Amino acid sequence: MLKYIAKRFLIFIPTLIAISLITFVVSINAPGDPVESMLNKNSGEGQLSDKQAGESAYIELRHQLGFDLPVFYFSISNAATCDTLYKIQNISQRAILERIIYQHGNSADVLQYYSSLKLLETDLYKLPKNDSINPSLSKVKEQLNLLFNTYDSTEIKSRLNTIYGYFEKNELMKPAFRQFQNANNNYAVLLRNQKTWKRFVPVFYWHGIANQYHRWLLGNAPWFGEMQIGQSKGFIRGDFGISYQDKRPVSSVVWSAMGWTVTMSILSMLLAYLIAIPLGVISAVDKGSLKEKSITTTLFMLYSLPNFWISTLAVIFLCGGDWLAIFPSPGADPPSADASTFEWLTDTAYKLVLPLICWTYGSLAFISRQMRGGMLNVLGQDFIRTARAKGLNERQVVWKHAFRNSLIPIITLFANVFPLAIAGSFVIEFIFSIPGMGKVSLEALMARNYPVIFTVMMFTAILTLIGNLVADVLYAFVDPRISFTKKQS
Amino acid sequence: MIPGKVQNIIQKEGVWENVKKQFRKNKLAVYSWRFILFMLIIALLADFLANEKPLVCKYKGSTYFPVFRSYLVDLELVKWNEGFQSSEWKKLDYDWAVFPPIPYLPKNIDDKNIHSVSPFGEQNVPSKHWKHWMGTDELGHDVLAAMIHGTRIALFVGLVSMSIASFIGILLGSLAGYFGDDKLKMTRIRLVFNIVFIFFALFYGFGSRSYILGDALAKSFFSFIAQLIFSLIIIFFLIVIGNLISRPFEKIPILSKKINIPIDMMISRFIEIMISIPTLFLIISIVAIAKPSLFLVMIIIGLTSWTGIARFIRAELLKVKHLEYIEAAHALGFSERRTIFRHAIPNALSPVLISIAFGIASAILIESTLSFLGIGVPAETLTWGALLAEARQSPTAWWMAICPGLAIFLTVTVYNLVGEGLTDALDPRLRK
Repeated sequence: MLKYIAKRFLIFIPTLIAISLITFVVSINAPGDPVESMLNKNSGEGQLSDKQAGESAYIELRHQLGFDLPVFYFSISNAATCDTLYKIQNISQRAILERIIYQHGNSADVLQYYSSLKLLETDLYKLPKNDSINPSLSKVKEQLNLLFNTYDSTEIKSRLNTIYGYFEKNELMKPAFRQFQNANNNYAVLLRNQKTWKRFVPVFYWHGIANQYHRWLLGNAPWFGEMQIGQSKGFIRGDFGISYQDKRPVSSVVWSAMGWTVTMSILSMLLAYLIAIPLGVISAVDKGSLKEKSITTTLFMLYSLPNFWISTLAVIFLCGGDWLAIFPSPGADPPSADASTFEWLTDTAYKLVLPLICWTYGSLAFISRQMRGGMLNVLGQDFIRTARAKGLNERQVVWKHAFRNSLIPIITLFANVFPLAIAGSFVIEFIFSIPGMGKVSLEALMARNYPVIFTVMMFTAILTLIGNLVADVLYAFVDPRISFTKKQS
Repeated sequence: MIPGKVQNIIQKEGVWENVKKQFRKNKLAVYSWRFILFMLIIALLADFLANEKPLVCKYKGSTYFPVFRSYLVDLELVKWNEGFQSSEWKKLDYDWAVFPPIPYLPKNIDDKNIHSVSPFGEQNVPSKHWKHWMGTDELGHDVLAAMIHGTRIALFVGLVSMSIASFIGILLGSLAGYFGDDKLKMTRIRLVFNIVFIFFALFYGFGSRSYILGDALAKSFFSFIAQLIFSLIIIFFLIVIGNLISRPFEKIPILSKKINIPIDMMISRFIEIMISIPTLFLIISIVAIAKPSLFLVMIIIGLTSWTGIARFIRAELLKVKHLEYIEAAHALGFSERRTIFRHAIPNALSPVLISIAFGIASAILIESTLSFLGIGVPAETLTWGALLAEARQSPTAWWMAICPGLAIFLTVTVYNLVGEGLTDALDPRLRK
């Protein structure tokens, strides 16, 4: 048995790695730049010093969050790309550069072109500002911004020509002209030295453990000793990172949310099992009676009723508004801070009645339908006939002989119902605004707050795995015939 | 060989006849099946049932069929006739016109009936034909029109995602079930070449074509499919080449030693991992970062819901492969491929039908949950879930909460009932 549990724990590892990889890949490809959104950088016009200060703050934060590291242990790409591209800060510019490199196949020339554009930008900021230069200067800056965001060679050429036109017209911009010519030349060189074949040659890069994934999962801080700024202890050492939204540590966000969700799930499952099992037994024993038929039909209806519909109806019709106001509306204020613990408890409990019902009825229907099936199955078997033949009364036959044996499938259902309960949190918490994992992660998803999403995803997966394991272990306890160690045969 | 074939056909028909007979006994399942057919008809004829364009009209002396013509225009075969280019179909001065039963499209805004007009309330409409039978929403969309076109989306989501799921599930499940852990053997050199060439195939098929595929997806769905098929052809050819190249090397004794591939173990572990992934969460997080697209939602639902089918078919094949007729097929010298596809899978397929019926129900449920949460489905697509989400904004509009919710409930229920019916019909213990 212990051996079996240990073995199951070993399967946890690849599963969690797979899940972490999936979430990681998703977060890497997410649009938007978290560093930028954290800094609320105001781009556009401004002094050179402002711009430089903004950029250095950006680099600093990027380093702290570990975004200046390569993404993974290795990368497979084509010979055209260079393996240092991840060092470029701006995400959208990096994507554009990647594409230009893919098109032309000569990364060194492309980077040369890019850096000359960057220098041109700095030179433009250095120009003295006055009324006669400003209109064309802002036009040139606009064109330059567009240049940073295009990979199409004809578009690049035409933009370069437009900028050239402005330089021709305005003598005052002369100081920056040399750098522009440099950029223009670099682009011509880039076009001349095209090596398109390179994109068809696969290359393998090894980045080592200094990468974002490793940093997130295992951390790059030393295991023993002081942690420095910009280092992380990693997920498995309990460091879940910093929430992009409010810059709080993710652990504090997630712990309180998980408390709500786990409490609600366990309550709802207890409730579901307590109601479902007797219902299932009754409907199996009295098969064919009117009672059984009405129970079965009701359960089937409940099973197919989408919980977001029922919750919406409940909120609309039962929680104030124009209809009945039996329950408090989900948006209602939490009890004031000076309320006593008892008041807080009753108020919260009152608020949780409806969500709990909506959370429960689906799995209740599911469990009792399975219970009925299992019970019917057992009641048809020979040993039940034997028990009846022995002269046991119906009650003993049902509860002592049939019930115990039909419990087995119900226990394995635990593994199915538990993730279901967790998933239920999404919709129900959203509708009834309960600050649990579902609501937190939905909000995080809307804000692309990936540290939070990562953490919630991993915890949900771990809970699911534990649910599966518990179900399997219980399975063995209920039915002694099941053994997880291979029999010699 | 012929008698075997004949017998096979007879046996197959026998099985299906029996299933049909059992299924017909379950009245509820039969009515559910009819309801599904009814919804299919609504979905197919949605454009003729609810449309802003007239079905037939006489305009400036000649007769037109605008709804039908709109299909041809969409396919870029013809252009709109003179005078029809405007989007104001209702305001045209027809000699006579026959409008569809519901003369609105989901996107039409009836500006005389905005702010959620109740179906039983006062409606500002010219005649009974223009009545909003299920009321309007806050912006003035006709709810019934949105419901009819939503039927199409719901059924489409169910069918497409389950087709993807069944393809993957049947493929992996039958590989695992048929070969087990000890029947798939490969020579060393072939294994090496296969691994190397699969790497190259993925690189040339997807890696070096990623921008082409991305551009095609941004352009249109069909050009994406075309590019995708081209990628798959590249992959297929490279793998075939890899296998051909390995042939001559197989003559060398060291290289030709056979290696056992425990495919059942590999696929079972993979399924185990897939099951542990919180599916809804995964779908939501993938869908939330990408550009909202209905096809993406369908593909992701398909990619995450194949495990049930795979397990079913694996278990069934493990059972079936020891039966006499598979041994007979072996004895007759049929190739492995033929034995799997022509004999083993068709006989293992019946329980998969159950899985598919329940799968469609849950795919429709997932899609409506997603659009209810406002994730993944574009905002301008009015699905049932999106309609229901609107009800949260305007709580007085009870019809907005009842109608789409009821539609989702009925659809899910009938698919579940059909699944139930199939379960009973395929259960040999109930056969009398």
